[in-house]
Amino acid sequence: MNFIGLFLGIAALIIIGLGFLWVIRAEYHLGYLWWPYFLGLGIMLVIGSLLVPSVWGSAILGILGASIIWGSTEFTTQAVRTELGWYPFNQQPRPDPPFVGKIKRWPSPRL
Amino acid sequence: MSLNWIGLVAALATFFGVWIGHVTVRKIDYISQTVWLPASLAFILGISLELGALYIENAYISAALGILGITVLWDSLEFWRQHHRVIRGHAPANPDNPRHQHILAESSAATTIDWLNRAPSGRQLLADELHNIIEAER
Repeated sequence: MNFIGLFLGIAALIIIGLGFLWVIRAEYHLGYLWWPYFLGLGIMLVIGSLLVPSVWGSAILGILGASIIWGSTEFTTQAVRTELGWYPFNQQPRPDPPFVGKIKRWPSPRL
Repeated sequence: MSLNWIGLVAALATFFGVWIGHVTVRKIDYISQTVWLPASLAFILGISLELGALYIENAYISAALGILGITVLWDSLEFWRQHHRVIRGHAPANPDNPRHQHILAESSAATTIDWLNRAPSGRQLLADELHNIIEAER
């Protein structure tokens, strides 16, 4: 029996589950325009996983990176959910990300 | 130094497992007349993938199957969650699907409107704006 797949599957379940929570909080406190920075962070973690010699460390880092990449594509939809009143809408002004003007002109990813 | 590819395999399995599941559950719920049938099929497929992960010696294939299997098992649950989203009006009902026709008749919140298919406006929508969107759909 080879337990690596089952254990990594359970790790993925936990990491994806946490993804639901951090996307809600990050959108609330930062706003959806920060999505490119989360996309970049996720990609860097996946690339970083190639350099980790431990099988478990590399795999967990890859799952974490992929989950953050997925989360970056959920920001825009989450912003719409708050505007519809399905989740709390933050009335306070939120910080603009660097290069906010450029980001506004990019189509935000929604999968 | 040599690169460790297990992280990339795990990342691809995670991303595509979540993406494919996310899209497929919505599409199948839209057309399926029952919830139990696609949910049961996803459950059987997910268990099969986990058994494959346990019996395959190769760590890369085991990792990919194990992660994909768990996302498919989650999709099995998501069929029920999606059914409840349609009842609450958070996911669009299909007027040509008899199960959704029943939901549209029973639930006042159910709607054919895809509320999420819009760009963020930067402010909360007012009650009469939401009302106008519903009226425009009728």
